[in-house]
Amino acid sequence: MLRYTVKRLLQLAVALLGLTLLLFAWFKALPGGPENMLLPENATDQQREALRASLGLDEPIWAQYADFVGRAVRLDFGSSLSSGRPIATELADRLPATIELSLAAMLIAVGLGIPLGYLAAKRRGTWLDFAAVSGSLLGTCIPIFFLAAMLKVVFAQELGLLPTTFRLSAGSTYTEVTGLRVFDGLITGEFDVAWDAVVHLVLPAIALSSIPLAVIVRITRASVLDVVGEDYVRTADAKGLKPSVIRGRHVMRNAMLPIATIIGLLLGSLFAGAVLTESVFSFGGIGSFVYQATTERDYPALMGFILVIAVFYVVINLLVDLSYGLLDPRVRVRS
Amino acid sequence: MALLEVEDLRVAFGNSTAVDGVSFTVEEGKIVGLVGESGCGKSVTSLAVMGLLPKGRGPKRSKQPVQVAAAEPAGGVVKAAVAAPQAVPATGGRSRGGGADVSGRAVFDGTDLLTLTPSAMRRRRGKDIAMVFQDPLSSLNPVVPVGRQITEVLERHRGLKGAKANQEAANLLDRVGIPDPTRRLKEYPHQLSGGMRQRVLIAIAVACAPRLLIADEPTTALDVTIQAQILELLKDLVDHEGTALLMITHDLGVVAGMCDSVNVLYSGRVVESAPVRELFARPTHPYTIGLLGSIPKLDLPIHEPLTPIRGSIADVIRWRDGCAFAPRCDRVAEACVEGEPALVGSLHAHRCVLAEEIA
Repeated sequence: MLRYTVKRLLQLAVALLGLTLLLFAWFKALPGGPENMLLPENATDQQREALRASLGLDEPIWAQYADFVGRAVRLDFGSSLSSGRPIATELADRLPATIELSLAAMLIAVGLGIPLGYLAAKRRGTWLDFAAVSGSLLGTCIPIFFLAAMLKVVFAQELGLLPTTFRLSAGSTYTEVTGLRVFDGLITGEFDVAWDAVVHLVLPAIALSSIPLAVIVRITRASVLDVVGEDYVRTADAKGLKPSVIRGRHVMRNAMLPIATIIGLLLGSLFAGAVLTESVFSFGGIGSFVYQATTERDYPALMGFILVIAVFYVVINLLVDLSYGLLDPRVRVRS
Repeated sequence: MALLEVEDLRVAFGNSTAVDGVSFTVEEGKIVGLVGESGCGKSVTSLAVMGLLPKGRGPKRSKQPVQVAAAEPAGGVVKAAVAAPQAVPATGGRSRGGGADVSGRAVFDGTDLLTLTPSAMRRRRGKDIAMVFQDPLSSLNPVVPVGRQITEVLERHRGLKGAKANQEAANLLDRVGIPDPTRRLKEYPHQLSGGMRQRVLIAIAVACAPRLLIADEPTTALDVTIQAQILELLKDLVDHEGTALLMITHDLGVVAGMCDSVNVLYSGRVVESAPVRELFARPTHPYTIGLLGSIPKLDLPIHEPLTPIRGSIADVIRWRDGCAFAPRCDRVAEACVEGEPALVGSLHAHRCVLAEEIA
C-alpha cells in the first residue's frame, strides 16, 4: 500500500508540472501580452519596456517559466488586476464557501442518488425505475441557472421558506475558524449560526446537486444491475443469507467500485462548476470571483484559480485511487 | 421415504420451457447423477429445487397464434398441433430479464420446497440444502476475505460469532484439505488457486452439515488432477456424514466413478434413469447410447475418428408431437414422431418407443 501511495504521489507531481507548463504556454499565447492589458492604448514604447522589465518579461522564456513555477509553489500568483489584492488571499477567503457548498451538494447527491439508483435497479422495469431514469435525464438537461432561479422563485419568493442569497442572515455574528460555517458553528458551540448556515445552504446545494445526483443515480443503477447478475450474489443467496446482508456485503460493496470513481470526478467538477450557482445565490465563493475575473479579463486571477482547482482535482483523484485500494483487494496486490 | 422427491417439475421462462416434467428421487447417503448436455435443463432443475430462480409472473400469452387445429367432426381423428414453446438458450439456468414459473413438487423431508415462502426457504438454504457451483472464481465475492464468506453462513444458521466462528471456519478449511487454514481465512479469492477456491466453496456448502448437497458441475472449471481431488473430497463427505449428493454433470466418467443412480436428461425431460451399473451395462435410450459411444476410448487405434452424436440440441422442445431426440437419432422410425413417448419402467426407466427392439 505504501509503495502504491508513493507511486501515485509521484504521478501527481508530474501531472501538476504538466499543468503549469500548459498554463504558462496559454498565458504566453494570449494575444498582445499583458502590457496591453495593463497599460492604456496610448502608452509609449518606453512605458511598455519598463513594464515588461518590471514583470520580468525581458528574461529568457525558460527563466520566466522557472520563476512562474517557483512562485506558484509558494502560492504566489501575483495580484489581481481588478482588486489589486494578492490572488492567493482572494482565493483563500473564498475557497471555504465553495468547499462547503460543494460538499453539501455532494452529500445530497450521494445520499439520494445511491439509494435511488439501487431501487431503480432492484425494481427494474417498474414505474420507479422509469421515474428515476427519466428524472436523472431531466436533471442533466436542466441548466443550473434556470433550476437555481426556479428554486428561488418557488421556495424563497412564493413559499417564503428559505433565504435566497448569502451564507448567513444579515447582522449575525460569527466566529471564523475554518471558514466552513456549518462546521465552525458546530465546533464553537454557536449552533444558531450553524443552523443559519445550513438554511442558507439548502437551495444552492440542491441546485448544484442536480447533475451529480443524476449521474450517481444512473451509475448506481447500472453498477447494481451488473453485480446482481454475478455468480457470487447467487452463492450468497444459496447460503440463505438475509436480504440486508446480501445487499450490503455482496451487492453494494462490489457496486461501490465504479461509484467511488465517479464521486471523485464529480466532486472535482463541483469545485470548478459552482460558478453559476454561486452567482445566482450571491454565495461569495470562488465561483463568483472567477465570474468577475473572466468578465474583467483578470488573467493572473484566472491562472491562480485554474491552478488551485487543478490541485483539488488531482488530490481528489488520488484519494479516490487510494480508496479504491481499500475497497478492492485486487488493486492492492497488483500495485 | 426418499430425502428429496422431485415430481413433475416444470420450469418456464415466459413462453419458453426449460424443464418439462422432470421427476427423480434422492435417498439419504446416496449420490444421484443428473446428466445431459448444455441446455438440457439440469442446472435449472437444481436452481428450482434451491429456490434460486428469479420469480416469474405467470405465463404470458403467446404472441404467435397458438395453432390448434379444430376437431373436424367428420375426420374422426382429432389432431392438435400446438405451437411448440421456445426452449431457453443455454444460459446455465440464468435469466436476466423475466423470471421463471415453476410448478410441480420438490418434497424435501416431507415439505414441498416449492410452496415455502421466500423467508422460510432462506432459513433452509445453506443449512438443510446447500449447493456447490461450477465456477469457483466467479462464485466467490472478490472483495470479501474467504473467512468472512464462511463465517457469515455459520453466523446465519448456527449462531456462531467472532472467534468461535473463525475457529469453526478454520476447522472447515482444514476438513476440505486446505493447509494453513488460519492464514487462508484472511485471504481474498484471487489469492487462492482454482482448486483451493472450489474447496472453499465446498467448505461453505458443508458448513452447516446439510442433509442434501447439490453440486452443479463442480469440477468443470478445474484441471484434471484437481478434478479427481475434489470428487474424492465430495465422496468422502457423503461417506462420512451421510449427506445425500445430487451431482449435476455432463461427464459420464464422473457419473461412473461416483454415482449410485443416474438420470439422463434431454431437452427438459428425463429420457432414462437407472442404477449406475445397470445404465452403463444396458443403456436403452439411443441418447444414452450415443453419450456412452462418444466417450473417447484409449484402446482404439490412434487415427480412429471419434463418434459424436450428430446435430445439436434443438432450440425448440417438441416432446408433444414426438420424441425430441428423433432429429438426431440414428434409429428413428415412424413411431418416434407419432405422439409423446412415455417414461416406461420403474427401476430402469426409459423414454423410447423402440426400446424393445434396441434391447
